[in-house]
Amino acid sequence: MIDFEELKAELIKAAAAAGIEQYEIYYQLIRDASAETFRDEISGFSFGVSGGICFRCISGGRMGYAATELMTPGEMHELVIRAHENAKHIENDDEVFIYPGSPKYGQKTREADKFPDAALLKNNALALQRNTYAKSKHVTDGTQSQVFAFETETRICNSMGLDLKNTAGATGGYTRAVVKVNGESADDYDFTLGCGLDSLLPLSDNAVSGALAKIGAGEIDSGKYDIIIGGRQMQGLLAAFSSVFSGKSARLGLSLLAGKEGCEVASSCITITDDPFDPNCPMQTTFDAEGVAVYTKNVIEKGILKTLLYDLTNAKKAGVGSTGNASKGSYASTVGISPFCLSIRPGEYSLEELFRIVRSGLYVTEIKGLHAGANHATGDFSVECAGFLIEGGRRGQPVKSFTIAGNFYGLLRSITHVGNKVEYGMPSGFTVFASPAVLVRDISVAGK
Amino acid sequence: MLNRHILERVLLRAMSGGADFAEIFAERSRSSSISYVDSRIESIYDNTLSGVGIRAFLGVRTVYASTTDITEEGLMLCAASVAEAIGGGRADQNIVLSERITPNIHPVRIVPSDSLTGFAADLLKAGCQAAAGYDKRIIQVQGRLMTNDRNILIANSEGLYITDRSVRTRIAISAIASDGTENQTGSASPGALMGLEFFEEHMPEEIGRRAAEQAITNLEAVYCRAGKMTVAIESGFGGVLFHEACGHSLEATSVAIGASQMAGKLGQKIANEKVTVVDDGTIPGGWGSMNIDDEGNPARRNVLIENGVLKSYMIDRLGSRRMGLPVTGNSRRENYSFEPTSRMTNTFILNGPDRNEDIIASIEYGLYAKEMGGGSVNPLTGAFNFSVREGYMIRNGKICEAVRGASLIGTGSQILENIDMVGQNQACGEGMCGSRSGSVPVGVGQPLIRMTGLTVGGR
Repeated sequence: MIDFEELKAELIKAAAAAGIEQYEIYYQLIRDASAETFRDEISGFSFGVSGGICFRCISGGRMGYAATELMTPGEMHELVIRAHENAKHIENDDEVFIYPGSPKYGQKTREADKFPDAALLKNNALALQRNTYAKSKHVTDGTQSQVFAFETETRICNSMGLDLKNTAGATGGYTRAVVKVNGESADDYDFTLGCGLDSLLPLSDNAVSGALAKIGAGEIDSGKYDIIIGGRQMQGLLAAFSSVFSGKSARLGLSLLAGKEGCEVASSCITITDDPFDPNCPMQTTFDAEGVAVYTKNVIEKGILKTLLYDLTNAKKAGVGSTGNASKGSYASTVGISPFCLSIRPGEYSLEELFRIVRSGLYVTEIKGLHAGANHATGDFSVECAGFLIEGGRRGQPVKSFTIAGNFYGLLRSITHVGNKVEYGMPSGFTVFASPAVLVRDISVAGK
Repeated sequence: MLNRHILERVLLRAMSGGADFAEIFAERSRSSSISYVDSRIESIYDNTLSGVGIRAFLGVRTVYASTTDITEEGLMLCAASVAEAIGGGRADQNIVLSERITPNIHPVRIVPSDSLTGFAADLLKAGCQAAAGYDKRIIQVQGRLMTNDRNILIANSEGLYITDRSVRTRIAISAIASDGTENQTGSASPGALMGLEFFEEHMPEEIGRRAAEQAITNLEAVYCRAGKMTVAIESGFGGVLFHEACGHSLEATSVAIGASQMAGKLGQKIANEKVTVVDDGTIPGGWGSMNIDDEGNPARRNVLIENGVLKSYMIDRLGSRRMGLPVTGNSRRENYSFEPTSRMTNTFILNGPDRNEDIIASIEYGLYAKEMGGGSVNPLTGAFNFSVREGYMIRNGKICEAVRGASLIGTGSQILENIDMVGQNQACGEGMCGSRSGSVPVGVGQPLIRMTGLTVGGR
């Protein structure tokens, strides 16, 4: 396989031949491996290397893109021509940039986990699976465990002399316990970062006890409830609506936060931070997808909107500086805007204290259907949930098959108390979301 | 594409650790995407995907590896890693690949290419401008026109050598309506296993107007009341409910490991007798159609449920080994980097005995879901959730005011029993389905149906 430097030289040569002066080469290589189990054995092991090169260039003031996984010199010349041609059909006259580089780049607080060998992944997946089965005689078929690793190498080189490189990676594990008690089935899962047994084995307890706790779940009456949304569920809601913090969404009328900088948009107990160097954020980089230095910022501080998130083009349109939040879904994508580690900062209440404050209500431990039941443009959501009753200030009986409905903007304003333990979701690319449990009053619930 | 003798050597290498089956899936695809926002073509990009996936079986144990290095050396290295990981001993095999030709049942007339980028951009623009001009309350229109030209080669240790090409085209237009205080959305996103000739029958302007009309309807709608009620779900994309609530529970991926509520129920009555469901990958030009599946089996039409009785699961090669049942032509993957598994193609409820007007007239109080959004399901319990993109209340047998923010939840087995009226206007819609083997295009469909006792989420 031809190495990157050779392909880069071909691209530079092709760009010169086409008379292209402003361009960027974005290269990404992803390595991944995972082992998974069925019953008492490793049922599957997979590993792969993928990735490619994206060439983008400014032609007639417009940015054209083309990408490929075909790593041959001939393809590099094709790539340049395709990007140049694509630019010709674009009508967008927003100012576009090839970035010369930031004066200073920050320091990562976490480097890539060491990529484990196949034997470790398989052995630890099997150990996790056996541990999950051992937790209860009710654990049955359908129970699966997985241990995985991934690593990403990113390069950005451009005609302004920028040459940046980043390697990030993580390992993790997952177990899903299926239990059957008196003919009733239930399941639950837990995941963690890290693939050592000290990280993995505690997952079994959580998954099995979580699944057993769902047995005998009842239905609830429709109505208005005070609810506690668990941290893992709240980070999911935050992720589903994270595009409302994008400066581009605001400019296009797709976020109701447009023009609200400096205004109160959430309860005063809410601070939301984007911290690329959060030590719990496993996939760290010092630069964004345009090569701009990333940094920590409060998006909402004590309820006040401090900033939206920007790339270079949308920052220019808004008359502000880039917040270093340019992103790419994959090497082939056009530049978008995403947070790195967007988290609701912890409050002072333990879960038990939140139960006591609510006295009577619902504790939501499962939210499903966010990909379909959350409308980014309106903020409306209506999603399937499961959880527990809160009775007499304590966690009570399990409940299932109900929906909660509301509006994300309204939800931010209705949070009255914030828990003290932040829970993190699984990273997707360089983005991860996190939140503690939150208490929200008067939410519409549909049940039986 | 790759030389047959090289592939034979790679397969032998992959089996050298003792595997009893090996397979190579090679892919070169070209995708392109044109985006429209804020009254103009915003971006255009294309991508060439190129790589190989190698899979080996030893009984029901699998190893899968993928690489973008498609040189002989790269493939042999990848195969060696597979052989090492599968373990088990040493096997001496003789593999002779023999080409199998499959008829192309989805011919394409206008293959998307670089020279047609301007033409495609104009089609997208026409659709988006029609949406923007529909009503002055439409404040933003976003659109995307996507094409994919996929070339695959599958070779396996049983001597199979087969190639296929498929071209897909899809347009997605989303309109935002605002009354100054709040926003509402509408969208339309049809697609087909076709080239740009797709737009000869699907006018972009009509697609844009459909998206805008829905956004205005939702802007004028009131919030849906929550509670249990009877629901009428319209034909076409309404079939997503069956897809999620029941279809996934019939895939070998979950059935073979006992993680499905439908496991062990072949031959049993699981639905109302008015319900017959097929999964059909052979519909010419269908969004979820194909000539061959991603293991090289010809696409098929499978009856899943006949008059309420479970007749078949959807089974891939691994599922077949686990379940002791034949494959059904349902093995699919997003691309070479994913190990294939059993997936749906075009899945729909067939027409039933009830007249559509009788279905609406029969509902005293309920919800008419004219257009469904997406959803998801837990195959173990069958618990599902869906959003309703466009809905109306039904009172005294008449469709009344538009409602927004509704969702539907329940369990698959419950809705199969509770579908008690099946209409006669069966149609298909298009969606992307995400699962273990990535995101694949699927068709979903049904006629108008009635379901009783469904929980409707709202305010």
